Amino acid sequence: MVSEELVQKDFLRYTRTVGMTTMRGRGFYYPVDSTMSSDGRIYVVSRSSENAPSDTRRVTVLNEDGEYFGVFGTGVSGEDGAFKWPCGIAADSQNRIYVTDEHLHTVFIYKDSGEYLGRWGARGTAEGQLNGPSGIAFDQDGNVLISDSLNHRIQKFSNDGEFILSFGSQGSGDGELNLPWGLGTNSESEVFVADWGNDSIQRFTTDGEFVARYGSSGRQDGEFTRPASVVVSQDGYIYVADWGNERVQVLTPEGEFVQKLRGEATDSNWAKDFLGVNVEEASARERANLEPEIQYFNDDPHEESSHIEKLFWGPTSLMIDEKDRLFVTEANRHRIQVYERNK
Amino acid sequence: MAEKDMQLLAHLMRRAGFGATRAELEKYSKIGYEATVDELLDTTNPQWMSEYLLRRYHPDESSMMLGLGGLDGWLYRMMTTDTPLLEKMALFWSGIFATGYPKVIHAKSLSDQIRMFKRYSLGDFRTLLVEMAKDPAMIIWLDNQQNHKDSINENFGRELLELFSMGVGNYTEDDVKECARAFTGWTIGNCEYMELRSARDSDWPYGRISWHYAFDEDDHDAGEKEFLGRRGNFNGEDIIDIICEQEATARFIARHLYHFFVADEPPVPQWPYQAPRDSEAVDQLAQAYFDSNYDIRSVMKFLFNSEFFKSEACWYEKIKSPAELVTGVMRLTESVDAPQYETKSRQLRMQYMGQTLSNPPSVEGWDGGTAWIDTGALVERMNFASEELGNVSSLGSQGLFKRVVSDGEGELSPQRIVDICLDHVGSISVQDDTRERLVDYASRNGVVTVNDGSIDEIGKEKVAGVLKLIGATPEFQRA
Repeated sequence: MVSEELVQKDFLRYTRTVGMTTMRGRGFYYPVDSTMSSDGRIYVVSRSSENAPSDTRRVTVLNEDGEYFGVFGTGVSGEDGAFKWPCGIAADSQNRIYVTDEHLHTVFIYKDSGEYLGRWGARGTAEGQLNGPSGIAFDQDGNVLISDSLNHRIQKFSNDGEFILSFGSQGSGDGELNLPWGLGTNSESEVFVADWGNDSIQRFTTDGEFVARYGSSGRQDGEFTRPASVVVSQDGYIYVADWGNERVQVLTPEGEFVQKLRGEATDSNWAKDFLGVNVEEASARERANLEPEIQYFNDDPHEESSHIEKLFWGPTSLMIDEKDRLFVTEANRHRIQVYERNK
Repeated sequence: MAEKDMQLLAHLMRRAGFGATRAELEKYSKIGYEATVDELLDTTNPQWMSEYLLRRYHPDESSMMLGLGGLDGWLYRMMTTDTPLLEKMALFWSGIFATGYPKVIHAKSLSDQIRMFKRYSLGDFRTLLVEMAKDPAMIIWLDNQQNHKDSINENFGRELLELFSMGVGNYTEDDVKECARAFTGWTIGNCEYMELRSARDSDWPYGRISWHYAFDEDDHDAGEKEFLGRRGNFNGEDIIDIICEQEATARFIARHLYHFFVADEPPVPQWPYQAPRDSEAVDQLAQAYFDSNYDIRSVMKFLFNSEFFKSEACWYEKIKSPAELVTGVMRLTESVDAPQYETKSRQLRMQYMGQTLSNPPSVEGWDGGTAWIDTGALVERMNFASEELGNVSSLGSQGLFKRVVSDGEGELSPQRIVDICLDHVGSISVQDDTRERLVDYASRNGVVTVNDGSIDEIGKEKVAGVLKLIGATPEFQRA
């Protein structure tokens, strides 16, 4: 059994699970990031595998009830919008969808209908050039921020790719970064960086001045192991995908620990559809103990999550909607767990 | 250190690891052969690229489906580890306790098995056998989940005796049945659901779930058994205790170790009818097994320090497996220290050469030896080694060019270029006619000249050309 302390219900409360795994079409395949357009549609980018056909790397469009609107990004080359190592996804104020690609060192742009609009970015270390772009987010001014991971910096561009500024350099000190991944912004356009290699969250002004650092290496409350994603609620609470600890942590606007979540997934509408027509499998699943007691050979929660299906496994991305609900995308479980604030 | 001693160190590194660069050999030469063996056997804190980097850039490594999970992770470990013997031991045991995807149909259980081998591969052989018997992939591979108190399935019991410990001819059919009885109830958790998902190759709804060992006491035959002349209410662990005491077990494991680390033996099915290539060496290894109370690390220390291992007669006597060849080449190029999109294709190249990690062709593992070589595989092996070694932009090539430059200003003789290149790939000594052909190649198309501490691009290509040819030599393809 999962220990009681891992399931807290005082700040965020689990509501539902969305999605399931499929290599193509209605589903996700190693989803690494999600975004939402102004009409509530969810865009989930699946990284898939280098071994799998190119059309398994895609953006799946759906809503939280599981209504499916199709996929895009399944071309055959980078020139027609096909991905290699897609990583981050974000929507601008006009509902255009931006996807970063760590292998192609580029940013793809699509209409919300999936029509490919073009790409920008080239590999390099100079200002405006990219090396392994991962996280992507828009600030209040409509500018786009990109985690230029292998250059250990954050770069800000206009939404058509014109360089504005960059900040951060490789290191572990305040304002220095080590393979940054996810990005979030708040209502003041401050930038929050999941400083993956430094096991912390760093906060910067909109101009890139260091403001604060939250967390340190570890598995205790308020500590992080390779955080992948960070978002900020409308009232300033900081949500962190504590990826290496296979959990989500909530911090106050000042960075104090509030809550940790370990995952409580249930059957999504798509999962119910599958199990409804695969009766033998559903029946065997019903008889199985999906929360067995196991003696693990190490203390890495990655191992526990591989055994206990409801737990987060590979929480790579967080997203907050207008209702302040939190969407947690799990790469290894091919789904999204949704949480809402307790009143 | 004398050149012969350096070549002995190179031999050690080819067998206990995946070869070594000249710089690595020079480092080891400062502490000497025996201390190098001790360092190789020290596996307390292995370092490699990083589990977190692997998971970040290759999330599909956590997949439990065909061809995805685990394979790249193992290749990255082999390419970047500072503890290569641990990886070689995992390759060794995975070739004996062979399991494969076509029946298990669960990739993570196979990669979990490799991790288990690394945890126990250099410890007490008894512990390794117990962990192997509890390993979910092995349980499914040999049907032990179908081995019930009232209806035994002999498959695991038979292979435990025949393939994993004693070898044919050292036990009776009754021993097989009694052995199987002792392992009744050793199964995996949620067996019905897990087996069904594998049978359907179902990844739905949220990806596969890891397997774990479970003991079903109600399905275990706790009655009295007679096994290898002993009588008692034996369970599986008792049976393994008795197996480990057997002279046949010691000799069987000793011959496997000789085959993998010293010189190729015939395939295992021929062992009952064909004496070992070096019976005395096998006797000595078997004695080391008993002297150390079945401690494999002690046996390995004895092996690497033995005269039969050091003997020049066994240098280059083994044909590198595809895993050893691909890993060794990539370590020489020093071009992998972070996740790369291209790693999957290197895994595929290894498969084209005839080896898919965690997926041997049969329960008897890979035959090894000349079985690695056929027309297609040889061309693939030579092409791969040549392509990678000949990449002038790799870190390994940059190191080579620095060595060339360090020879001083002016023209380099073709002989000198060949010597530097042979040295660079791990102090390889080649046959005279091979060397003549390398020198002949290096003599064509002008000379390589060092000017102002550098060589031009044409010179670099020429040096790289010699490396490409070395990658195709018999000595490089062997260990």
